[in-house]
Amino acid sequence: MKAAASLIIAGLLLLAGSLATWALTRPVPEAGDPAVFEQALTAPTIPMAPSNPLPGRSETETGTPDPAPDTALPRFTIGAHPLVDNRIPISLRIPALGQNASIIAAGVEQNGDMEVPDNVTEVAWYKYGPAPGEPGSAVLAAHVDLAGQGPGVFFELGTLDPGTVIYVDFDDRSTAAYRTEARAVYGKEALPTEAIFSRQGPPVLTLITCGGDFNRSIRRYDSNVVVYAVPFDNPLPATT
Amino acid sequence: MRKAIMTLVALMLMLVPGTAFAQASDGTVTVVHGVPGLTVDVYVNDALTLEDFEYGTVTDPLTLPAADYDIDIRVADADPASDPVLTELVTLPAGANATIQANLDGTGSPKISVWVNDISTTDAGNGRVTVRHTAAAVNVDILANDGVLFGDVANGVEGVADVPAADYNVKVTAVGDPSTVVTEVPALTIPEGTNVIVYAIGDLGAGTFQLAVQSIGGLHTAPGGVPSGTGGDLSTGLPAWLIASVAIAGTAIVAGGTKAIRQRG
Repeated sequence: MKAAASLIIAGLLLLAGSLATWALTRPVPEAGDPAVFEQALTAPTIPMAPSNPLPGRSETETGTPDPAPDTALPRFTIGAHPLVDNRIPISLRIPALGQNASIIAAGVEQNGDMEVPDNVTEVAWYKYGPAPGEPGSAVLAAHVDLAGQGPGVFFELGTLDPGTVIYVDFDDRSTAAYRTEARAVYGKEALPTEAIFSRQGPPVLTLITCGGDFNRSIRRYDSNVVVYAVPFDNPLPATT
Repeated sequence: MRKAIMTLVALMLMLVPGTAFAQASDGTVTVVHGVPGLTVDVYVNDALTLEDFEYGTVTDPLTLPAADYDIDIRVADADPASDPVLTELVTLPAGANATIQANLDGTGSPKISVWVNDISTTDAGNGRVTVRHTAAAVNVDILANDGVLFGDVANGVEGVADVPAADYNVKVTAVGDPSTVVTEVPALTIPEGTNVIVYAIGDLGAGTFQLAVQSIGGLHTAPGGVPSGTGGDLSTGLPAWLIASVAIAGTAIVAGGTKAIRQRG
């Protein structure tokens, strides 16, 4: 009787211990505070006040004496708009994952999705958005895996924790360091594209791949894994 | 300049449809100079806002409160009290993006034209090209990469098209005769999310025909998604060690239970 009871107790202890260990060590999809990035990248820009309304016509004069017209007037300007030859990202290094991949410029597919080349060893940069370091979200996307090619550059993106250092090399031989800050898993339909492809706001480097559950019949994952990073020395974008 | 021409037409801009800009109480104005051989000063509501404005020049956009504005154009450095060369009352609706242009009509007379620029968003990957015939010239065809983009365009008429962002070879040709090229731009860049507005200006017969270009950016939209995996190699199930230890625990519990039942029986 005693032996039977201890066997049951040992079994229960092992079960509880295993489940507790799993609960404590299993990878969690979210890390850091992705909402900070979703907000900072979609915050409306403060519209420029019509600095000085033109004098005259309207009856919205507030009874103040007429301002000196020459100083109060907005004037048309003719700007010189030199072509800016921005640097282009050419490779991405994630030492924590042992990855060093070349970056190619990518646009959009016919159906409006971002183009991600069918090569698991390459990373795609959304060429219509900002380059890394420019205002807004610079998007680097890569396949988590491809049928017939196996795991890709971003196979382990879902394990990148906040505080990981990653590097982007540019065509002018410069390099920028980034610090990961947050990780999120979004259902495909819930991907915050306005934030992820934003061309305004603080400079953010956004890494994207697929994740979640895999549907074998249509060979698609149901989610996107997104890692947000900031220039290494920058603070987090401010919350509003 | 032949003669000072006075036009006093209250020209209403088309109201911008939709509610996207309902809260904006401002409009945006750009000025384009398309009258050859004349440097001018531009007055808005009797205030000098643009000096020594030269043929072929495009200003930066200026944000102004939505309102009616008197636009007077005088020869550069002319007495502000003198009769303007051109004058127009322009209504700037809230949220509108307008271009005010001094240009020649089909017979070579100067006039003020008011254009409403299409600032609706473009699909991801696309840009927009707008072509405006504002020159003293016959009707023309506009060719992009040797295909007719806009056919039989007359003075005072514009063509607008959304196209994939790219460089395009653009030709202005005689109508129906692609071999008679009036002018050619070997590589006109249409950036993504940008409306590139090309003005044909001047007098073709007098040899002053040329192009002026205005760009309005920020019309982009985001791609719909990021498809980035077809392999299914990503393990989303339970780890093997957990399955193993749960199995061992289960076996122990079952074995203990069986033993207890046997001992009792």
